[in-house]
Amino acid sequence: MKFTRRDLLAWSAGAAAGLIVTPIPWKLLDDTSIWSQNWPWIPQPPRGPVETKRSFCTLCPKGCALRVRMAAGWPVGISGAPDNPATRGALCPLAYGAHQLNWHPARLKAVRHRGNTSSWFEASTAFAKASTEGPVVIIDGFPGRSTSQLFQDFASKRAAQYRVVLSPEIRSLRAYEAWAGVPATALGYDLENVRTIVSFGARMLDGWGSPGRFSHLWAEQASGKTDPQLRLIQIEPQLSRTASRAWKWISIRPETDSALAAGIARVLLEQRLVRATGPMPRLSLTEASSLTGLGPDAIHDLAQVLVAEKPTLAIADGDNPAVAALNFVLGSIGTPGGIIQTTKSAMPYLPAESNIDAARAVLIDSSVPWDFDVQTEAEVFRFAAWDGGSSKADWLLPAPGFLEELTDIPSAPGSSVQTYSLTAALTRPAFEVHTAAQFLQNVEPQIGKPEEIIHQRCAQIFKARTGSIYAADVAAVSNCSSPQKLEEAMWAGAIWMNEPLYNSRLLRSLREWPTEAGSATPQNSENTWSPGILPPLSSKLYCESNLCESSERRNA
Amino acid sequence: MASLTMTETHVTDSRWIARGVERISLSRFLLCLAPWFVLLVIGVYAAGLCLFYGLNQTNMDNRFAFGLWIFLDLGIIALGAGAFFTGFLVYILKRSELKPILNTAVVVGFICYSGAVSILMIDVGQPLRAWFTFWHPNTHSMLTEVTFCISCYLLVLSLEYIPILLRNRQLRKLPSFLIFEHQLHKLVPVLAAVGTLLSFFHQGSLGGLYGVLRGRPFAFRDGIFIWPSTFFLFILSAIASGPSFLMLVTATVEKVTGKRLVPPDLFRRLGLISGVLLAVYIAAKSIDTLIWMDFTSPAMGFAPWLSYMHKPFGTPILFAEIVLFGLIPAFLLTYRRTAAKRGWLLSAAAMACMGILLNRFVLTVQTLALPTLSFDEFLTYTPSWQEVASFAGVIAYGVIVYSLSYRYLPLFPAQKGDETHVSGR
Amino acid sequence: MSARYGMVIDLDRCTGCGACMMACAAENNVPALPKATNRTGLTPMLVRKVSNGRNGVAQREVFIPILCMHCEQHTPCVSVCPQQAVEVDRATGIVMQMPQRCLGCRYCMTACPYHARYFNWWDPAWPAGTEKSLNPGVAVRMRGVVEKCNMCHARLHAAQEKAAAAGKREIDPADYVPACVEACPTGAIRFGNLADPNDPVTQESHSPEAFRFLARLGTEPKVYYKSKEAWVRALAEAASSTEVQHG
Repeated sequence: MKFTRRDLLAWSAGAAAGLIVTPIPWKLLDDTSIWSQNWPWIPQPPRGPVETKRSFCTLCPKGCALRVRMAAGWPVGISGAPDNPATRGALCPLAYGAHQLNWHPARLKAVRHRGNTSSWFEASTAFAKASTEGPVVIIDGFPGRSTSQLFQDFASKRAAQYRVVLSPEIRSLRAYEAWAGVPATALGYDLENVRTIVSFGARMLDGWGSPGRFSHLWAEQASGKTDPQLRLIQIEPQLSRTASRAWKWISIRPETDSALAAGIARVLLEQRLVRATGPMPRLSLTEASSLTGLGPDAIHDLAQVLVAEKPTLAIADGDNPAVAALNFVLGSIGTPGGIIQTTKSAMPYLPAESNIDAARAVLIDSSVPWDFDVQTEAEVFRFAAWDGGSSKADWLLPAPGFLEELTDIPSAPGSSVQTYSLTAALTRPAFEVHTAAQFLQNVEPQIGKPEEIIHQRCAQIFKARTGSIYAADVAAVSNCSSPQKLEEAMWAGAIWMNEPLYNSRLLRSLREWPTEAGSATPQNSENTWSPGILPPLSSKLYCESNLCESSERRNA
Repeated sequence: MASLTMTETHVTDSRWIARGVERISLSRFLLCLAPWFVLLVIGVYAAGLCLFYGLNQTNMDNRFAFGLWIFLDLGIIALGAGAFFTGFLVYILKRSELKPILNTAVVVGFICYSGAVSILMIDVGQPLRAWFTFWHPNTHSMLTEVTFCISCYLLVLSLEYIPILLRNRQLRKLPSFLIFEHQLHKLVPVLAAVGTLLSFFHQGSLGGLYGVLRGRPFAFRDGIFIWPSTFFLFILSAIASGPSFLMLVTATVEKVTGKRLVPPDLFRRLGLISGVLLAVYIAAKSIDTLIWMDFTSPAMGFAPWLSYMHKPFGTPILFAEIVLFGLIPAFLLTYRRTAAKRGWLLSAAAMACMGILLNRFVLTVQTLALPTLSFDEFLTYTPSWQEVASFAGVIAYGVIVYSLSYRYLPLFPAQKGDETHVSGR
Repeated sequence: MSARYGMVIDLDRCTGCGACMMACAAENNVPALPKATNRTGLTPMLVRKVSNGRNGVAQREVFIPILCMHCEQHTPCVSVCPQQAVEVDRATGIVMQMPQRCLGCRYCMTACPYHARYFNWWDPAWPAGTEKSLNPGVAVRMRGVVEKCNMCHARLHAAQEKAAAAGKREIDPADYVPACVEACPTGAIRFGNLADPNDPVTQESHSPEAFRFLARLGTEPKVYYKSKEAWVRALAEAASSTEVQHG
C-alpha cells in the first residue's frame, strides 16, 4: 500500500484529534501546576527534627540571649529569650538574620597570607617566630571572657601586651576612670533607676548598651507620653531615630557637645540648682550659646529640665570629659540612677588605640570590629570568620562563625549589674577554623583552655553566693546545691546576674572642669557589630526599604 | 506559501493572489515588510527574555504592578472593538452598507485580540498556570470574566477569520475546504451574535477591572446592578472608537496601496456612527466624573482634587479626555461639512482613538501612580526596552498579518476585478 | 469558635529598628536578592518612615510598620483574584495567599490600597549553602507569584498541631505569635483575637487613640494603629494628611 503525503497529514490530524480524548494532554497540563511549584533550582529548606536551643550572640560584645530553632542540626531561626533579665527577649534587627551569616560568600574558609592561600601550620610558625623576635600585642574586642583571660595569661608569660578595643558605651565611661580609680569596664549606667536622661548623641534607641535593656525601659516608661516617668532628651544635630522618638530633641551644631555640657553646668552652678559648688566651667553661657547655636534661654531651660526630675544622667557618645563633669555637677556619680561600679574584679587594660609601633606582631581577635584599623609596621594576624574586604592584615585566619564557638559572655557594656553566661558551639563548619585562644595555645601550651577558666569562674560565682540564676525559674545562687549544678544550669542557657553594688564608693571630687578633649569618638554607638559583613537579609533594612538611608551600610 | 521559500530570482506568488487584482511584486512586498520582520524578531527576543529570566526584565515594580502592557492591551482591545461592532451592525442590525469593511474588521479584531492575549501571556508571572483560571475560576473577579470572554471571543474571531482565509485562490481549489468555508459562512451571523455578546461583556469587564478597585479611590466607581459604571463606559467608548479605528486602518491601506478600496460614503457612515457614540460616551463619562467627584471619592475619604494635584496628571488631562479628544472629534465626525472632508474626518477619527487610548492610560497608569496612604509618594515608571520591544513586536505582527491577508485574501469585495484606481497613479 | 486575628501597633513605641522586618523575612524564607530595590523587594513587613513635613526643630518622624491589614469586608484582593488564590480564612480571619495557585497576574497588587503585596520578580536565591538555614515550616515561593503577610500561618499550624496532640480543640494563645510580634524589642506590635472581647488587643483597638489606615474605604482592616500624637492619627485618612503637610 502506498503511503502518500496526504495520508500522513490525515494520520497526524486524526492522531491529534484522538490525543485530546486520551488523558495524556490533560495529565500533562495538570503536571504544569506541579512543575511550576517545584523547579529544581528553587532552594528547599532542611528536613529533620526541630528543636529549640539556647545560646548567646557573639557578633558584638553585647552578648544578647538567643533562642535558636534548629532543624536537622542547622540553625533555622533566631529569636530573643524573654526570660533573660538582661536582654528581656529583645535583639537587634541584624540578629534575626545572623543564622544565615555562616553561609555568607565572604566567609573566610582558609588561612590567607597577603592575599594568597596559606595554611594554619605556616601561620602558627610565623607567629611563633615573631613572638620570639620581638614584642607581641594582642587586641581583644570583647574583654572579660575566658578567652580574654587566656590572652592576658599569654601576655604575662610571653611579655606581650594585652589591649582592648572599647565599645562606645565603655569609651563614654573612660572619663570617670581617673576620678573613680576604677577601670571603665567596671563601671555602668544605672538606667533602671534614672528619671531623666540627657544623651549627647548616644543612640539610646539604636541598640545602645544592649538592645533589650534600654528599649524596654523606654517603651514602658517613656514612649508617647507627654509627661513620661523616664524623660529622654536627645542632643544631636540631625533628627536620628533616637531623636525622633525622644521626649525632647535639641538640635545643636555638630561637635559642640562639650560646650553645651559646660553651658548647662554653668547655669546649674550659678543658679544653685544643684548641691555641688564646682568646678565652674571656664566657658561663659554666651560662649556656650554661640558655639552650640542654642540660645542662652534654651540652655537655661534645659538646665531647669535636667533638675526637675532626678536622678538625671548625662550620657556621651564616646569619651567626653565635659559630659562626665556634668554628671559630677549633677551628683550622678556613684548614686542610684547614676554612674555606678558594677564589679570589683575588673582587670586593668590598655586601649587598643595606644601606640603599638614597637610591636613585632599584632594578633587581632575575631571579636574586634572588622573596621578597626591598626596603624603599625608589625606583622598583623587577624582572626575573622568573614572577610569584610580591604584588610591590611598580613594574615587572615578563619575563626568560628555565628554559634560555632564555645565561650562565656560577660556583662554587656554599660550594664549596671554584673552578668555571666555560657554558650556551647551549636554547629561546626565543614572547614578548619580556630579561635585566637587555640592558636596561642599552640605557641604557649601553658595557657590552658577556655573551659577550664569557665569552670573556675562558675566555682567563684558559687563561692561568692551573691546574685541569682535566671532560667525558666529564678534561683538565688545561695540556694544552689553545688558548683556543678550551677555550671550545668549555665550551660543550659541560664544567666547569672549579680546584685547592684550601690554602696561601692566612687571618688566624688573633681577640682577643675576638664579642658582636654576626650579621645577620638570615631563611630556612632550603633557601630559595635564585629563582622565585616552584614546578614544578607539586612538588605530589607538597607536596600529594600527607605528605613535606613545611610549609604555606607548598603554593601550588605 | 511554499513559493515564498524558493530562492530563484524570478520568484512569483501570482498563483496565490486573487485573479484580477493587482499587487506589487513579491520582492518589493517582502522588502516593505522586512523592517517589520526585524521588529518582530526583536520583539520575540524581548518577550523571550521576559519569559526566560522573569518579569525583572521589565521596569514594573510592586507599586506599578501593571505597566505599559496592560495599558496597551486595554487600548488595542478597545480599538479592536470594531470587529464585533461591525459584525453586530451588519448581521444583527442588517446595515449591509458596512459590508465592504467587514473583512478588514475581522482581521483587525483578530490581530488586536491575538496580540493582546500573547502580551498577557508574557505579562503574567506564571504563564504555565494560565489554565488555572478556567479550572478554579473566581466568579466574582472581573479578570475571570475578561479571561473567559477574551479567550472565547478570540476563538470566535478565529472562526470568523477562517472563511476569509479559505477564500484564498489556492485554498479554494481544495473541495473539502470549499465546503467547510461554505458551511462556516452560514454560521457567521451566529458567530457575530455570539461575538457581540462576548465582546459586550469583556469590554465592560475590562472597565470593571478598575472600577471595582475599592482600594484605589481614583478608579473606584459605584455600581449599576453588579457592575461599576466604568463597565458601561468601556463598552461605549470601545464601540465609539472601533469604527474610527477601522476607518483609519482602511485609509492607511488605501494610502499605502494607492487604491480606493471602499466606497467613499462608507467613511462618512463610519464617522457618523463613531461620532454619535462618542458624544453619548462623553456625556455619560462627564456625568460619571461628576458623580465620582461629588459622591464616590469623598465618601471614601478622598477629596477629588487630590487625584489631580500630581503633575503631569493635573486637570488638563481630564480636559483633554473630555473636550480635546472627546467633544471636538465627536463634533467633527458628525458635523456634515467637516465629515464631508476626508482630512477632517480622518483627523477626527484619529483624535477619537487617541481619546480612548488616553482614557485607558489614565485609568491604568494614573490609578497606580497616585498615592493611597497619606504618606505614599506619587510614583512614576518608565518601561524597560523589553516592554517596549515586546509591544512593538505585537504591532509588527499586526502589520505583517494584515499585509499578508491583504495580499493573499479578498479582504475588500471591490477587488474582485473591478477595483478603481486612485487617479493620478 | 472562630477567631479574628488582628494586631494593634503602638506607633509611639516603634523606634523603627526594623527587627520585625528581619524576623519576618527569616521566618518566612523571604530571599534577599542583590538587585531588589525598595520598589521591587519582598518585604511582607515593611517599616515606613513618615515625617510630619516640618523643617528644623519642628521636624518629627514616626515609624509605621505596614503589613497586610487582613481586611475583613470587601477584601480588595480576594474578590479580584481570577483563580481563587486569595481567600479570607473564615476560621481565623486571616487573608491567605496561596502561591501554588497564583498565576502572577498582579491584579491583587493593584487592588491593595496598602501596597502590602509583593511580587517575586526574581527566582528565589540565597548564597550557596544558605538553604540549610531556611525555615522548614514555610515553603519557598517561586518566581512570578505574589506573596504577602499571612500572619505566620506556619506558626498557627504548629500551634494547632500541638493542641491536637494534647487532645485540645483550641490552641494556647501563647503558642501562636507571629514573628514580627515576637521580635519587636519595645512590644509595639501586639497580636490577639479581635473576636474575643476580653483579649487585651481587642480592648486596645477600642481605645480613642487607636485608628486604622484608610478605614473609610470600608474594608474593615484588622490591623489597628495607636498613637497619642494627633498628627500621627491624622495620617490615617488621605485628605486630612495633606492638610497636615500643607497646613
